[in-house]
Amino acid sequence: MIYIKEFIYAFLSTLGFSIIFNIPKDSIIKSGLTGALGWVIYLFININYSSKVAGAFLGAIAVGMIGEIMARLFKKPATVYIIPGIVPLVPGAGMYYTMLSIIEKNFIEAANFGSETLFIAASISSGIIISTTLNKTIFSLKKNC
Amino acid sequence: MESLNDIKKLLVMAILAGKVMLKNGAETYRVEDTIKRICKSRNIDFAEAFVTPTGIFLSVEYKGEVLTYIKRIKNIKFDLNKIALVNEFSRQFVNSNMSIDKGFEILNDIDNIKTYRKSIRLVFGGFAGSFFTLLFKGSFTDFISAFVISSTVVLVMEYLNKKNFTFFLSNIIGGCIATILSIISVTSGFGTNMDKIIIGSIMTLVPGVAITNAIRDSIGGDFLSGVSRGLEAIIVASAIAFGVGATLKLFFILFGGM
Repeated sequence: MIYIKEFIYAFLSTLGFSIIFNIPKDSIIKSGLTGALGWVIYLFININYSSKVAGAFLGAIAVGMIGEIMARLFKKPATVYIIPGIVPLVPGAGMYYTMLSIIEKNFIEAANFGSETLFIAASISSGIIISTTLNKTIFSLKKNC
Repeated sequence: MESLNDIKKLLVMAILAGKVMLKNGAETYRVEDTIKRICKSRNIDFAEAFVTPTGIFLSVEYKGEVLTYIKRIKNIKFDLNKIALVNEFSRQFVNSNMSIDKGFEILNDIDNIKTYRKSIRLVFGGFAGSFFTLLFKGSFTDFISAFVISSTVVLVMEYLNKKNFTFFLSNIIGGCIATILSIISVTSGFGTNMDKIIIGSIMTLVPGVAITNAIRDSIGGDFLSGVSRGLEAIIVASAIAFGVGATLKLFFILFGGM
């Protein structure tokens, strides 16, 4: 149940981001779905294995994969789908709590939140790297056959 | 066989196509690829493009003559629609016998294309932040506060961009405004969780395009662009954090917290 609720929230949130980034009209719903799927995967990992870093990593892989596939299907640049989809995973909350702990002079907490935020950011980047390069390899293999 | 003048025109057109893409936030390898494809489709054997996030360098050789154009790019804003359109255009241009003048016409049309209406952008900007607040388990009143605050932030950022503020300053201001409004919302008794409202509202400022492009540029082997876009993302993130942090600190000093 919680997954359905969060799927809808993430879908609408990604929809908002895609309008902010001005993506083409016919791609808005698709990128909304991309972002929502990425978020649900993040949530699933986070609830069952209680690791935000792994969740963001797998979520980013999913977003990158779906984005690349959609780009090939609909002949649009992959960024159109990936950029709005990746934004919900970006650790805005981690950024905020790090800042708050620094202000409250709670530096141990700040280091905790800060390192987690950095790791989430790094895992998102490696997620995109892996999905994009995998996609490129698969595509070039297909071409050579 | 084209005359030298035609080649010059083609060069300017390719640069224009690149400019429209880069100005609206395309990855540099995509811009290079598009420019080269456009040049090579019209009998130019040697064409080399070098694109960084701040400029385009293009050099072609035609019948022993070397022509070079340099275009400096400033004010990157984000409009993925235009990137998709130019992408489509370049595919069309390469695969057909389109005249260069016609190409100019289409590119200028793309450059002047309207974005979504302001009202739509405000509403969806509000959605982006407010549903994010719900994802972080905010209450219903938090949702409404975040909706109003995020659309305000989107509006203010648009205004600042129009006035050519540096992105560092405008992001600090964005963070400040989001925090001030959240504090007002919570102290007036309407919102309940200040942290959730602030987290949702600052998400509309997060440098998603810079992060994604930095990564995709680096994978493409374009480390110069990757590093410079990555730095942009880091600076924007720290500007947001600074804006939020400074405002919160001020609030704690002046009113002693909640």
